[in-house]
Amino acid sequence: MKQLRHLLYISLLALLVSCHSQEEFDNNAVGNFDALWTAIDENYCFFDFKSIDWNEVGNRYRAKVTNEMTQQELFSLCSEMIKELKDGHTNLISSWDVSYYRYWDQYPQNYDQRVVEEKYLNFNYKTCSGIKYAIMSNNFGYMYYGSFAAGIGEGNLDYVLYELASSDGLIIDVRDNGGGLLTNVETLVARFIDKRTYAGAILHKTGPGHHDFSEPYDYYFEPAKDNRIRYIKPIVILTNRSSYSATNNFVSIMKYRDNVRIVGDSTGGGCGLPFTSELPNGWLIRFSACPILDPAGNLTEFGIDPSEGCKVDISPYDTANGIDPILDKGIEVLKSMINNK
Amino acid sequence: MSTIKNKVIALITATFATVLASAADIADTDSCKLLRPVNSIYSAEVGSASILDTYLTPIRYTGINARIGYERMQAMKFAPEKWIMTLGAGVSYANVENRVRNRTMHSLMVDFAWGMLHRWSVTPSLKIAAGGGASFDGGVIYNAANSNNPVSAKINFSVNPMAMAVYNTRIGRLPITFRYQATIPMMGVFFSPDYGESFYEIYVGNRDNLAHFGWWGNRFDMINSVSADLRLGNTVIRLGYRNTIENSWVCNISTQMRTHTFTIGIGGDWISISPDFNPSARCRIISALY
Repeated sequence: MKQLRHLLYISLLALLVSCHSQEEFDNNAVGNFDALWTAIDENYCFFDFKSIDWNEVGNRYRAKVTNEMTQQELFSLCSEMIKELKDGHTNLISSWDVSYYRYWDQYPQNYDQRVVEEKYLNFNYKTCSGIKYAIMSNNFGYMYYGSFAAGIGEGNLDYVLYELASSDGLIIDVRDNGGGLLTNVETLVARFIDKRTYAGAILHKTGPGHHDFSEPYDYYFEPAKDNRIRYIKPIVILTNRSSYSATNNFVSIMKYRDNVRIVGDSTGGGCGLPFTSELPNGWLIRFSACPILDPAGNLTEFGIDPSEGCKVDISPYDTANGIDPILDKGIEVLKSMINNK
Repeated sequence: MSTIKNKVIALITATFATVLASAADIADTDSCKLLRPVNSIYSAEVGSASILDTYLTPIRYTGINARIGYERMQAMKFAPEKWIMTLGAGVSYANVENRVRNRTMHSLMVDFAWGMLHRWSVTPSLKIAAGGGASFDGGVIYNAANSNNPVSAKINFSVNPMAMAVYNTRIGRLPITFRYQATIPMMGVFFSPDYGESFYEIYVGNRDNLAHFGWWGNRFDMINSVSADLRLGNTVIRLGYRNTIENSWVCNISTQMRTHTFTIGIGGDWISISPDFNPSARCRIISALY
């Protein structure tokens, strides 16, 4: 009888644990501010890496919050607070505006689509699955991929790479590619590797604490199947500060290939896979949640530098004169890679 | 410890003895044909849903829930007077919105449940039953506004104690069967990603720690249903209410789902007859419910 009573007590205690109560915030300025601060506090993944004291930030901005604020004033204040994270993946989304941290605004754009298409390709290129491609007069292949959100079909890639197969080397231009789907990164990388390749490691948060992280999980990419076309000749990847997120991931994996060089400016970074949460007033908050390490074990949140000796900027003068020094440098690097083979 | 073990062994032995004895009863009455009709009901349910899933959002969403269900009950062959079997399946959809009604989530779930209950006649009109079963339910909750956490996948297998009370009466000349049934899953296995784990990480191969042992310490579910079966000739019309509660707290993720639905169903009692059945033989009908 005593044992039965103990069993009943344990069951009732267990029930209390499973019926966990969720903290709810009021739908006013203070409540929404606290909901935002808490969502970031419990889920953001780069506090340590960026040496951010989130309590201090919260206290500083909370002192300015009153329930008499308008929605626009609150949005503006909250946007300023999350910009302190210096994270292009962190956005506050309301029904009238989206806040951005413009990680690229201190740097030259380093890409002019018109110059490339007119002066280097003579507008003579094909387009497929979001990829513009052609063989230039120097017999180097050129492909421009402007967004990893654009789906890449395996059959489409076969057409692209079949067309470029006779080239001596390939320039993959991912300037101004702000990212998209990581599964497209895998699809594309699989065409440029000939064996199982270490792609890096991924972590996730295991709880709301700032140090609650899982062990890094190593992940690998397999080469495309044998009946698909792969390109294993020398490759140069052109990057600028707007090469962000999934593009940054693509560059981080390709950089460690022996036949690949990175030319241009550093990428914009963004190595945290973003999650989304929500405030009581219906605003969304997007933030970096899962850090992804490059194959060398580095966080590339602030970008990936070009290969040694391959840092190039484009001046307004160059653009006005129809010159793309980054593309020129890419061609020069490809030539030297082929000559040194 | 050994005392408990002995009690458990004694209980299992007694259960088997009851089952075997019941089977023997059938053998003794072999001269009497026993017919065990299948009570079969197709139902549609509409009502409210409340969903909180902190993997997707810390905000509770509320809205409408609809379910198409099927339930089958039959007295069991080995002891038709004492044991009944239930089988249920359903597909449910919920469309829920946040507090300020500017975001929507969709939930699509399937459920299967099997159970076996021992019944006792308290009075000629009132029967109670208790037993156990197993159930599977799974599906997704989808939040289109989210980036890399747009979906919360649900897969749950559990072992369930069940209880039922059935009261047969008449209103005027209309036979009515009132029923209350409760199912409280006790333990099982269910799927959950880790607190901040993306489905991309699962996709690239990290399948560790996705299956969790469910017990009342991390999961509490309950299904309550009340129904009135109006027996209009050969047809049964079911009117009822169904309430489901699902709570889980695992990997710092809280899930709370509630539905309240009104049920309308149609069905009847079906008997399968073999070609050598002699209609003049003495028959006895043992229904699972009536």
